[in-house]
Amino acid sequence: MQLVTRNLHPVYFTEDRSVHSNIWGQELVLKPGERVHIVAPSGSGKTSFIHFLYGLRKEYNGSIQYDGKDIRSLAPDQLAVYRQKHLSIIFQDLRLFPDQTVAQNIEIKRQLQPYHPANKIEEFAGRLGVAHKLNMLCSTCSYGEQQRVAIIRSLMQPFDFILMDEPVSNLDENNRKKAIDLIVEEAAHRNAGIVLADLKKLEYFPADKILHL
Amino acid sequence: MTLKYRHIASLLETSRKSWSKYLSYGGLGIGILLLLCSVQLFMNLQKFINNDNPRKAGADFISITKTVTNETMGTPDKNLFSPADIEEIKRQPFIEDAAPLLANQFHVKASAGNIIPFSTDLFLEALDEDFLDTVPPDFSWREGQETIPLIFSADFLEVYNVLAPGQGYPQVSDETMGTIQIVLSCYGPTGRHDFKAYVAALTNRVNSVLVPEEFLTWANKRFGMTDNILTTRVFVKTKDANNPDFLRFLDQKNYRVNKDKIKFGRVKAQLQIVVSGLGIIGLLVVVLALMLFSFYLQLIIAKSKDNLQLLLMLGYEPGWLSRVVSRRWVPIYISIVLIALGITWLFQYFVYLNTHKMESSMSPMLHWSVLAFSAALIFLTIYSNYRIIRKQLYKLS
Repeated sequence: MQLVTRNLHPVYFTEDRSVHSNIWGQELVLKPGERVHIVAPSGSGKTSFIHFLYGLRKEYNGSIQYDGKDIRSLAPDQLAVYRQKHLSIIFQDLRLFPDQTVAQNIEIKRQLQPYHPANKIEEFAGRLGVAHKLNMLCSTCSYGEQQRVAIIRSLMQPFDFILMDEPVSNLDENNRKKAIDLIVEEAAHRNAGIVLADLKKLEYFPADKILHL
Repeated sequence: MTLKYRHIASLLETSRKSWSKYLSYGGLGIGILLLLCSVQLFMNLQKFINNDNPRKAGADFISITKTVTNETMGTPDKNLFSPADIEEIKRQPFIEDAAPLLANQFHVKASAGNIIPFSTDLFLEALDEDFLDTVPPDFSWREGQETIPLIFSADFLEVYNVLAPGQGYPQVSDETMGTIQIVLSCYGPTGRHDFKAYVAALTNRVNSVLVPEEFLTWANKRFGMTDNILTTRVFVKTKDANNPDFLRFLDQKNYRVNKDKIKFGRVKAQLQIVVSGLGIIGLLVVVLALMLFSFYLQLIIAKSKDNLQLLLMLGYEPGWLSRVVSRRWVPIYISIVLIALGITWLFQYFVYLNTHKMESSMSPMLHWSVLAFSAALIFLTIYSNYRIIRKQLYKLS
């Protein structure tokens, strides 16, 4: 799968925002296996860009294409199939089910399109230090723990690209490194591309390309 | 692994006890019961009416006259059928055919000689053979023929046999009737002419004394000195004498028929209104229950909105979600319809127990159309449920 953006520009941004941006108003081609690091300050449109790529929002001019198909022309069911098999995401605001346990939150994604067997949940939870939280309600976990749950959830499915919006912003250095290592490892396992947006450059992320908004 | 409803069941707030849920279940059950009972009643009614009204050759034959009122008493023209009237009757979609009954326009007397010393003024009529229930092979006449075959109303013979003992006349059987020599005396301006006549057949259909049409046409000219045919009665052939449209036409034109022949039609029309009313109420209750249920579904979706939205964001297809969520209520719908069907069957069995001695055609089983209606209702409820959920979920995606 190939991801292409052309002349992408949020409708709520003024035109002059494109002048110094590597993304807004430009053509961007993202290929499988490519690791792209978007570094930009608050308010520059990182979350908007990730949401546009995932097909969550449509308030933009220009186009985004999955394999040459404009995502705005995809029916909801077609878009869902892309989200099951080709695109994974880690939301900045995590978007977990607070009344479900940690294990249920991860399983709800895994059962949709299982890439890993169920025992991988425990293995990944162990690697990221949340194994002891698996049977607890998500609402009882700290924000850092919830962030790790969201990371594990995103790795349970097949994907060609994983989109991440400040995925480790609430983790300490040690856990950040562990989380980034796991994500890079899993993406490599699938020969998938990574789009990681953050406020500042993450040292542990081996980016092929750094873009500014 | 195939995803099923149980995988996402905990994310939907369907297990809550809600008064609107139980109210809509109850309403749906009552509405469906009313509908099924009215369909079964309607079918019973159809069977009952058709059974009590045996037809010959799949049609009803009825004679129509114009109603004589105080205003029309002195004006025979207003009480006679014109050719235009007959054409209008023939044009009606519920009438297959119509023919005038030709009447004699001369004086006729009949006597039965020495065997039955009985003499009476008589009237003769002729009718197209297509309208007769029995046409004997010798029922024809040619000019010069002195013997005339008659078709005699079985009702008239019955009346004769009632009055005969009191008058000292012998009673006559159907078989003997055909052997009696009758003398028909026709009177005209040129004098009297006696013909021999015999009863060639008895008829249950026409209350009249019928002669071959050729004879009556000739005799009207010869004794009545007229070519002008007066029609006081028209005989009609109709698929169903109880057809409400037919009855409306008769009322509208102020035509008169034997009330007994159409009384089932009048009763049927009234009963149909009652049964239709019951059906309409049932239908309204079903619609109301479905509306209430749709509010309940919308409430569930609204309460589970965040979870459903997140499921859709994670890649759950709205089409799949609509199917599995709506499927959850299928067993409930089927149970409601089956319970209503069971009660309808009990109702029919009760009707059967109370009527089968009078009405042999009544069956204790439900009519197939009730079963078809039940299947259609199951489909309707499942489909409308699915459409509501689908619409809501696509709105969220």
